[in-house]
Amino acid sequence: MAKVYNWQIGREMDYPYEEARPAKQFAMVMDTNKCIACQTCTVACKTTWTPGRGQEYMFWNNVETKPYGYYPLGWDVNILSRHGVQDLTHFPYQGKTLFDAAPQGERVMGYLPADLDYAHPNVGEDDSLGNMTQGAFLNMPHMQWMYYLPRICNHCTYPACLAACPRQSIYKRKEDGIVLLDQHRCRGYRECVKGCPYKKSFFNPITRVSEKCIGCYPAVENNRQTQCTITCIGKIRLQGFITTPDKAREDNPLDYLVHIAKIAKPLYPQFGLEPNVYYIPPVHVPPQYLYQMFGWGVEEAIATYRKAADDKKLLGTLLLFGATPEITHHYKIAGDTVFAYDEKGAEIVRVPLKEPIHVRKAYDETREVYRTNIT
Amino acid sequence: MNYLKSILAVIFTAIAILSAGPGNTADAGIYAVQIPGAGPIMDPTAEFWNKTPGFQVQMLPQTVTTPANPNPATKTLIVRAVYNGSWVGIRVEWEDPTQSDRIVVDEFGDQVAVEFPVEYKPDELPSPMMGNPGRRVNIWQWRAAFQRDIEQGEPGVRDLYPNTMVDVYPDEVLRVTDARAYTGALGVDNLVSHPHGSPVLEQIAEGFGTLTALPEDQDTNGRGFWRDGKWHVVFTHPLAPFSKNSAQFAAGGETVAAFAVWEGGQREVGARKAWSNWVPFRLSK
Repeated sequence: MAKVYNWQIGREMDYPYEEARPAKQFAMVMDTNKCIACQTCTVACKTTWTPGRGQEYMFWNNVETKPYGYYPLGWDVNILSRHGVQDLTHFPYQGKTLFDAAPQGERVMGYLPADLDYAHPNVGEDDSLGNMTQGAFLNMPHMQWMYYLPRICNHCTYPACLAACPRQSIYKRKEDGIVLLDQHRCRGYRECVKGCPYKKSFFNPITRVSEKCIGCYPAVENNRQTQCTITCIGKIRLQGFITTPDKAREDNPLDYLVHIAKIAKPLYPQFGLEPNVYYIPPVHVPPQYLYQMFGWGVEEAIATYRKAADDKKLLGTLLLFGATPEITHHYKIAGDTVFAYDEKGAEIVRVPLKEPIHVRKAYDETREVYRTNIT
Repeated sequence: MNYLKSILAVIFTAIAILSAGPGNTADAGIYAVQIPGAGPIMDPTAEFWNKTPGFQVQMLPQTVTTPANPNPATKTLIVRAVYNGSWVGIRVEWEDPTQSDRIVVDEFGDQVAVEFPVEYKPDELPSPMMGNPGRRVNIWQWRAAFQRDIEQGEPGVRDLYPNTMVDVYPDEVLRVTDARAYTGALGVDNLVSHPHGSPVLEQIAEGFGTLTALPEDQDTNGRGFWRDGKWHVVFTHPLAPFSKNSAQFAAGGETVAAFAVWEGGQREVGARKAWSNWVPFRLSK
């Protein structure tokens, strides 16, 4: 085991390989408050990458309804219960990572889902936390709550799938940090399926080897955001690259949201994989639940997010979501507009901080007609 | 700690081999008897097996590398060997209460493998655990799933999941070259995806994690069947194959063999296996 530094838990940890950060790290920010679970991302991913034989059940991208929806069934509660109660009260993290918790003879703590766990994606989505009492009315925060959690492979800095593979069939690309599974080298042992706590490595029963989300690398190589990002009708996603906190650039929107505004949080950072998909937590969900799922600082993140309308910089950054299919490397806010630039500094999009409002008179004198407001 | 365990395991195997059950004498090992004829020796039920002495191979838990298998299901194999004018045949039998040949995410197949040094030098034996750098081993791995593929056809999704509904597959609407991108490991000719005329994969290795199957090395054939809680598997291989990666055999010659076995029903796969130390392997004159 080598000692590597994981900034999300604020400490060194054990990992089977030396720390080797890529030149750039693929990352994504998702705003859970805007997701409506329309599954357009899921279908975009499915039709692009997994329509083949043996891939019928596979969703490299899925959207599940929390707290009781899952894909595969019970994935997070299964690994959380094996992981046991961990001390999340202090930062740096005092508890065990999944590498620390590995049983003897194993590289990482994991479990292999049952075949049927994949059979009913998101079953349980409508199960409620309890009955509404007579006379109940809506209060904030909600008495009853749910939210949507869209998920892809986290292209972790310390992937458990990569650590678990005894053949080094999984590798992390030097150029963009995308984690890929070599279809020629894999022998279908399913150690990665067992090892990945997010269950984003899948076994193909027709090819008899495993497959995983490829971070739309052909698109990313051409400076284009992933399919799940550019097809999102709710504009909840922003995909680009993230740096470590010590090298955070204020003009990189992902660095700004994660390291500077600190409103986007990793999924289960206590597992120790340094996942690179970051979530803006849902504002109406009990903090204890969010704390377990997104780690330290969720309440501060929500407080900052709630004030985004008054914060030009934050508002401008959030308006880059869904504004362009290209990857934003730099951006700035000038006046009432946010400008995004590609890697070479060429402008790719500009978005007004406030959408202009046009008020039309009910009676159009030129055409002598009344116009009704039908949007 | 694991290394120490492995050394102890090797010592214990040596003791186990030296003191193994009836028919096993100190320098016995596996003795391949000559039989008449030529060509592949494919029949696991042939009469000559009954006249050939069986050697009991002690199987050990794989605990040297991760992931480990501290308690493998199979404790012993019975091995017999014969050869004819051009091929060698090895029959392996072991007890396995479940016939596992359906492969889905949580179901694994039964497998057995026999290993030889590519170049046999008595003083420079490779590690019995998949060789080591510069000391290459030749591994023949029989797979129950491949055997089933050959006998019953390769399963489609409807065979594995009878109630599957699919609108359309890329290969039904695209040209072959365009649909290839959706075929994963099959599209890049990964040899573990389906059998290539034989239920046995011929492979080479120089240590943990290096196991490699090359299309040009596939000289091994075989056949296995399961009956009454027992697998009977025959491997057959040319005495003098063309491949430089293959073990060579000759009348009166000697080498060593090692074995590995996986009980699919116990989710044994890859490094989660039972292995044996080198066993002397000699051919009659």
